[in-house]
Amino acid sequence: MKNARNRGLWPLIMPTFLALVAITLVPIVVTSGMSFFYIDLTMPGLPRFAGLENYAELFSDDQFLRSVIVTAQLIFVPVTLQIVVGLLLAMVMKEKLRFTGWMRIAFLLPAVIPPAVSGLVWKLFVVPGAGGLTYLGSLLGVDMQLDLLSMPGTALATVIAASVWLGTPFVALLLLSALESIGDDQYEAARIDGASWFQMHWHISLPEIRPVILTVAIFRILEALAIFPVIYVLTAGGPAGSTQPINYYAYVNGFEYLRVDYAATIIFFFFVGMMTFCAPFLVNIARREGKEAA
Amino acid sequence: MLRTHEKIFCYAVATTFILFLLAPVVWLLSTSFKQQLDIFASPPRLIGSITFANYRQVLGDAEFMKSFLNSVLVSSGTVVLSMLLALPAAYGLSRLRSRAKVALLSWVLLVRAAPGMIYVIPFFVSFTQLGLMDTRTGLIIANTVFTAPLAIWILIAFFDGIPHEIEEAALVDGATRWQIFMRVAVPIAAPGIASGAILVFIFAWNEFLFALTMTRFEAKTASVAILNYMGYEGTEWGKVAAAGILILLPVAVFAVAIRKYFVQTAAGGVKG
Repeated sequence: MKNARNRGLWPLIMPTFLALVAITLVPIVVTSGMSFFYIDLTMPGLPRFAGLENYAELFSDDQFLRSVIVTAQLIFVPVTLQIVVGLLLAMVMKEKLRFTGWMRIAFLLPAVIPPAVSGLVWKLFVVPGAGGLTYLGSLLGVDMQLDLLSMPGTALATVIAASVWLGTPFVALLLLSALESIGDDQYEAARIDGASWFQMHWHISLPEIRPVILTVAIFRILEALAIFPVIYVLTAGGPAGSTQPINYYAYVNGFEYLRVDYAATIIFFFFVGMMTFCAPFLVNIARREGKEAA
Repeated sequence: MLRTHEKIFCYAVATTFILFLLAPVVWLLSTSFKQQLDIFASPPRLIGSITFANYRQVLGDAEFMKSFLNSVLVSSGTVVLSMLLALPAAYGLSRLRSRAKVALLSWVLLVRAAPGMIYVIPFFVSFTQLGLMDTRTGLIIANTVFTAPLAIWILIAFFDGIPHEIEEAALVDGATRWQIFMRVAVPIAAPGIASGAILVFIFAWNEFLFALTMTRFEAKTASVAILNYMGYEGTEWGKVAAAGILILLPVAVFAVAIRKYFVQTAAGGVKG
């Protein structure tokens, strides 16, 4: 019976998955392979086997170690802020206030704005003189001629602000739809017992939507380094590598220093690290989807 | 329902965030209508004398318009290729009752979650050899790495929503799986397929890393070409802003058009 039901399904699935093997699995395997060779694209001749030497270089490369720290900063700080602020906004939007309906549409904007354009939006906003910050400063009587992108600390803060700006509204919309699936009666009961708005959400909403928050957080962690175009436009990784995460360092090695072997090593190392952490969650999500339909 | 001080708090949170959200975009919009002199006025002004010169210059810039056309062609091509790949696979996976299902679904998610850079290097090397470098076809293939899994994941949910009874009746009548897929499932899931296609279009339109590394002149898309206005002699902010608004407009319209589906679909797997 089971086989009969599946009959005719594999011919629909297989061609696509073979194509996906060709364009996804093969490149990943090739990248991992390249990390074990010396490859010089500017010189003719075959690649030479390097064993683990590219990886050995990784751990004595200060720039790489720096990029690991920047990666951690660019993942954990923005994702934490996105979740906390996003949850707060979702709580606010659940109330039928004057402009909450309108917020639902405005919140789509950062989610669809091309990342390169968001980079430009932020660059234009913080550039001294022509920038929006200078304008806001002049309204408050402050002379904002500081170039935030010229100093490591403020440059990193600007990138983090852009990342929060990009991700938070969408997180808020996701958490809002989770909050709306909770029945009103629970809140009403809590209200009668004299709970404040904040206590209500703390004791009812938070436990209910914890699984959603976790899933959203995983996806945001995986997406955090998709901020590449923003960094490319805003700071190009600088100053002094202060906004250069691992994937950007791999890009610089591959396409500016033309060291594709080392670039492959950097990015494959990152891929393995990321996947060891996130794969269990992804499999779990896939399992849930698989069960849901059954 | 809310007490007064709670209401004030909610309004304060909302107002602060909306300011943070809109201020940079409003500034982009205002700059796009400013004359060069007004852009660097001191102190700066939000609205100066309004001019359309920036838009005229960008729209009259043959190189930029070519990249805009490339964006349209590459994004449309990506939609077609991704849908051709995703539709049968998503339908098959939705109906499949096998242990392989979870493995395939996990793979779909994992491929999407991998960093783009891991694909770029092999694509760069092989495209150079295959003559796909700096071609729209090459860029479409590269984009499909992310958009096909995205589309599969979105479409599965829509196919799952089709009641089984309809299909079982057709099966009993002797229809093949392919016939059911084409004549029953696809027409019923059409609204979902349309919003999935729009989402893939938005994704391809916004793609940056592949376009940056795998195109030079011929196939360059608008989101990379806009950086041309940030030259060594200084950035032409008026043109950057106008071009930015032009690139942003189509996807913003699309997003509003599918807003009902947008949150569930763009999340791709984030639910309960």
